Amino acid sequence: MAEIEFKSVAKSFGKVGVIADLDLKVDDGEFIVFVGPSGCGKSTALRMIAGLEETTSGDIQIRGRSIAGLAPSERNVAMVFQSYALYPHMTVAGNIGFPLKMAGRPAAEIAAQVREAADILDLGPYLDRRPAQLSGGQRQRVALGRAIVRHPDVFLFDEPLSNLDADLRVSMRGEIMRLRERIQATMIYVTHDQTEAMTMGDRIAVFAPLKDGHARNLMQVGTPEALYERPANLFVARFLGSPKMNLIEMDQGQAPAFGTLDLGPRPPHGGALLLGVRPEDIRIAEAGVPGLAGRIRLVEALGAEYYVHIETAAGELIVRVMDKRLRPAPGDTVALQPAAGAFHLFDKATGERIGG
Amino acid sequence: MKKPLLGGLRWLVFALAVVILNFPVIATLVTSLKSDAEIMTNASLIIEAPTLDNYVAVFAMADRFDILHFLGNSLVASLIGSVLAIAIAFPAAYAMARLEVGRSWLLPLAVNLRAVPLIIFAIPIYLMYQQVGLLDTRFGLALIFCLVNVPLVLVLFASSIADLPLEIEEAGRVDGAGTLRLLVYVVAPMSLNVVAASSVLAFIYSWNEFLFGLMLTTNNATPVSVGASFFFAASGGGVRWGVAAAVMILATLPPLVLGLLMYRQIGRSMTAGAVKG
Repeated sequence: MAEIEFKSVAKSFGKVGVIADLDLKVDDGEFIVFVGPSGCGKSTALRMIAGLEETTSGDIQIRGRSIAGLAPSERNVAMVFQSYALYPHMTVAGNIGFPLKMAGRPAAEIAAQVREAADILDLGPYLDRRPAQLSGGQRQRVALGRAIVRHPDVFLFDEPLSNLDADLRVSMRGEIMRLRERIQATMIYVTHDQTEAMTMGDRIAVFAPLKDGHARNLMQVGTPEALYERPANLFVARFLGSPKMNLIEMDQGQAPAFGTLDLGPRPPHGGALLLGVRPEDIRIAEAGVPGLAGRIRLVEALGAEYYVHIETAAGELIVRVMDKRLRPAPGDTVALQPAAGAFHLFDKATGERIGG
Repeated sequence: MKKPLLGGLRWLVFALAVVILNFPVIATLVTSLKSDAEIMTNASLIIEAPTLDNYVAVFAMADRFDILHFLGNSLVASLIGSVLAIAIAFPAAYAMARLEVGRSWLLPLAVNLRAVPLIIFAIPIYLMYQQVGLLDTRFGLALIFCLVNVPLVLVLFASSIADLPLEIEEAGRVDGAGTLRLLVYVVAPMSLNVVAASSVLAFIYSWNEFLFGLMLTTNNATPVSVGASFFFAASGGGVRWGVAAAVMILATLPPLVLGLLMYRQIGRSMTAGAVKG
């Protein structure tokens, strides 16, 4: 168990800055997810903890102790890679036992530990096989076994499920969560998949790429609910949620298209504003009812719900419809009513959230 | 595949190619099995009266020219020269490919040294060998073979190591292996196919080396590439083609056997199942 702290960490490869001004504290025993689009530095941050990359400036501490200059082996961290990264010439038992062998443990202890890890991961019957003889899911379980057998302070996961197909991804997600209950260790999980982030993390840290003009990577840290319900900026608002949040340009601080929209008390603001409304927070009513008038352009039927694309004076909006009785059809004219209080305001220039 | 005529034609073409490409070898083999009289009268590839007399004659000359001694010298020097070259080049190639040691200049330098005609090194090496007593020794010959082999083996390893999935080595580092143990436990086992390929090539180059074999040995360590030439005029009166052909066939066998033994290893992929392809 260990807490990890990034202190003003920056990292650049040559002249290209990848991480800037990263301050983040991961609590002891916490499961935190680093999420963001490709190139946002989330994997680099993870690799700096593992010792596979050095920081350019700033400091990373585990248990209050700087890990600068320590070899990966001296950090007591375990890492699970996206590509499994198994040793192809060793058996499953050899793979799982390798860290213990490197630590110079006696053979009998290694065998016992490997057996225990294999039991946890249902790998018992495969101990004598080579990685090439295993399925993708089994391979990733071997990689998990190799990580847990060492009882490390910190588990690092670098997109461990990205190479698996959809079914397997869901079941492996469950497997990692079960593992998490069994093993009390700090876990950092990197993914670009917002579903994994929302379902697995105690907290989520949203990263943005510096190359897109952001001054720092870390956009917001918090519980999944907090991030979804109160995104701190446009980047987080756009990144979390599927379909994406609707963003409507406001004129003179008003959203005239929505008619009688009560934005509630808010601090006076000079610049241009964007109004954000999540697709599930808009209700479709019959035409003629007060609200934003629109015409249905496209209906995506997903079985349990519909995504309805509607052309309005405020641009095209997406509405998520759960009510099965409603049968929206392309060409219908409708009125849109936002749920009371379910909107977000952002400064268009800075992207920051305004008000509560 | 479905049409027998096309299949037959294909095999005909293959057979023709094999015969044409290997004609010198086949001609030598055929000659070694003919009597001296038949060699003079029958130039065709069909042997009228096959005989092993030439092979018997080669071994009968052991008191003057001992073919087994030459073969033994070549075998020992070539094996040491190949193994040594691999032992030196493997860590060096890893340092170049992964640790960025002189990546931009060291490899081209080593490879270009190979392009220099070896005769340039002949005199200094002779003088050095004289000083340290390596002249006419198998080990001295092996050291030269190693020198000749290192550039090629280095290039093979540098490119193959660069092609290995980096994550496996990173996993090894996180799992607690330092560079040396990473090389022994992770990188080397994944490079066995290249070890096989380069050891065959290095062995063949060593086996065929002639210049230094001629220059640096007189009697004790004469390799078969040099020793074989002794048999051409062994009887004093003109070249004995049958005996010479038999010597050449005998000299060809060891690298041929090695190649066949290693062949299965060469084409194998050593990283199957390691990472998602």
